[in-house]
Amino acid sequence: MEVEVEADGGAAARLSEAAQAELLELCEEQFTHLEKLQNEIILCESEFSETPQDQQSVNRLIATEAELKQWLSVEPSLLANNSEILLQAGKEELLKLCSELEMVVSCCEAKRDKLKETKELEQKWLEEKKQVLKAAENHIERIKMEKEKLSEHNILLDTKEKIQKMKAYQEQLMECLGDVLEAHVPFLQNESSSSKKKKNVEDEISEDLISLSEILEVLMNRVLNTPHDPYVTIDHTFWPPYVEMLLRHGIAVRHQENNFKIRLEMFF
Amino acid sequence: MSLLKPFSKLPGLNTANILLVENQEQLQHMLADVLVKETPLTVTVRLAKSLPLPVDESRPRIDLVVFIINLTSELSFQSAEDSLKYLDPGYFLGKVCFMVTNARHASVPTERLDALRRLAASLHCPLLFAEDQTPEGVIGAAERLLTILKVSAGVVPMTTALYLSNLTRCTLPPDIDQPSFD
Repeated sequence: MEVEVEADGGAAARLSEAAQAELLELCEEQFTHLEKLQNEIILCESEFSETPQDQQSVNRLIATEAELKQWLSVEPSLLANNSEILLQAGKEELLKLCSELEMVVSCCEAKRDKLKETKELEQKWLEEKKQVLKAAENHIERIKMEKEKLSEHNILLDTKEKIQKMKAYQEQLMECLGDVLEAHVPFLQNESSSSKKKKNVEDEISEDLISLSEILEVLMNRVLNTPHDPYVTIDHTFWPPYVEMLLRHGIAVRHQENNFKIRLEMFF
Repeated sequence: MSLLKPFSKLPGLNTANILLVENQEQLQHMLADVLVKETPLTVTVRLAKSLPLPVDESRPRIDLVVFIINLTSELSFQSAEDSLKYLDPGYFLGKVCFMVTNARHASVPTERLDALRRLAASLHCPLLFAEDQTPEGVIGAAERLLTILKVSAGVVPMTTALYLSNLTRCTLPPDIDQPSFD
């Protein structure tokens, strides 16, 4: 059984003589009690025997039961009958308690601040994730809408429309081209000639000559149909001044090796 | 007798006696330096390498026996285990404590810590981990020892060593038998 050792040696200095004397008396009483108990313990000490671990648990159980009985039977009693002693002891205890509670307060405050910080960080994280989620959902919706709009049939119709438009545009351009060429570069007519001799000679030269529009047509078709070999061989059907004109304006270029081949070139 | 008995002598007024048992005799000295500075309680620190202690009539009653074990050395563990036999069983009702250093060291095999845990749990003693490389670590360990010492010496009202040991005893984690992932 444990006996509490009174630890209020410091209080004694501030007490009056009478109170001090009383305290000392109380201490003496307790001490004699303690000595008595000590003697009893020494007498009861049995010889040491082997203690396997279960014996230890039994010991523990016995000791706990004894202590429990003691606590149940104990009644609260005044430390001493002298109010001065009690006051002094009470003051000390309260001071100790206050300092301990202050420690607890500061500890709790620190914990609380830490938790606040954590909470804020977590909330920020949550916000970011929510935004990501919203953006992802929007994206999904948009794609869904587009998918609905674009069924295959629609794509086909759209493409057909585009082709039609392009064809119309191309025809327009060709018409324009034809008109321009007619206006400025008319088809070579065999001159209503003067003499038959000249005519014969000229006939040989001017036979089979094709107009500029036809030359251009030949060049364009060649480029579009056989892009790997866009060169057109110049033959007697091409009137040389036309060819010269095309070459000088950069509309056609000669082949690098063979001077009789030309092709259509991108021009501005 | 070679056994240390807890109640063989009268307690001193406002004093507490602690016995630090350590095979390697390193941490004991540092702890002792911190412990003796305690006021108002007068703490007497006694150092030992292992039990049994030589017969000494002037030795006061020991309130708390602390076994300091360095986990990196098997010898430390063995010596502590052997010393346990020389303690009266009355000590195991809250007057014995285990303190472990270097628990996080890389070279420590996990079985040793597990074995130590089992030992502490079977004896119902608290198991404290201490960091002995820095002065703050030593002061922290000393403070924790002081808390237990004050209760064992009886200076804390309404608490007994047995009561406290029920609260602070080492418990085994339920998965101690399962292999750990290292």
